[in-house]
Amino acid sequence: MSLTLTLDFQYKTTIEKLWSALTDSSKLAKWVLANDFIPEVGHQFQFRAEPNQYWDGIINCEVLVVDEAQRVLSYTSSVGPEKHTVTWSIQDLGEGQVNLHLEQSGISNEQALNGAKWGVTQWCGELAKLLEQ
Amino acid sequence: MSDNNPLRDPFDAIADPTRRKLIRILAEPREIPLHELTSQFDMGRTAVSKHLAILKEAGLVLDRKVGRETRFRLNAAPLREVHDWLSFYQKFWTMNMITLGQLLEEEEEQ
Repeated sequence: MSLTLTLDFQYKTTIEKLWSALTDSSKLAKWVLANDFIPEVGHQFQFRAEPNQYWDGIINCEVLVVDEAQRVLSYTSSVGPEKHTVTWSIQDLGEGQVNLHLEQSGISNEQALNGAKWGVTQWCGELAKLLEQ
Repeated sequence: MSDNNPLRDPFDAIADPTRRKLIRILAEPREIPLHELTSQFDMGRTAVSKHLAILKEAGLVLDRKVGRETRFRLNAAPLREVHDWLSFYQKFWTMNMITLGQLLEEEEEQ
């Protein structure tokens, strides 16, 4: 069982600028988090958030896909036992509009996850129905 | 976060399959007496009562004595906290994507 989050945003920009925002470490730091990203397959890097009492703030990542021609970027994103895959793709909509598509899929290792979180992910479908009541 | 400050984290409360089944049964919009709940499980009345007590501590279940029987119903409010956890990434990326939009606008102006 895993969940996938997808989001689409449209920007008035160029494909090149959006690609740069995704793949340039200093630009990424401005809209995501501080990082040591390099657009090279196999490169391991971290996003660093402010630590709090429950979490050291570190997201461990590894670059999976850097396809500049197709404008697809993908990396793993792990916090504790939770390992997700984040995939970005860019599409030209014409008239100066560019679509940024995000897909974050969760590869949940049933045994590695603690009971509570596993219970939550298994249950989310039914939960959504309950909340609609 | 729940306002009534439950004794138990709803995450823990729903981690158990028996308790998730109890919540599903209790999702009906009526009060259900203990014997009716117990009849749906391969375990004794005491075991089911223990699970109900945990759900009650998490604020997920409300009970009421009617004559000699106790009736239970669901209080879904604390589940919103769980739902918030699931939508964490959605909020995270939505905020970031808005920031990116501003960043791209600034670049345009330069």
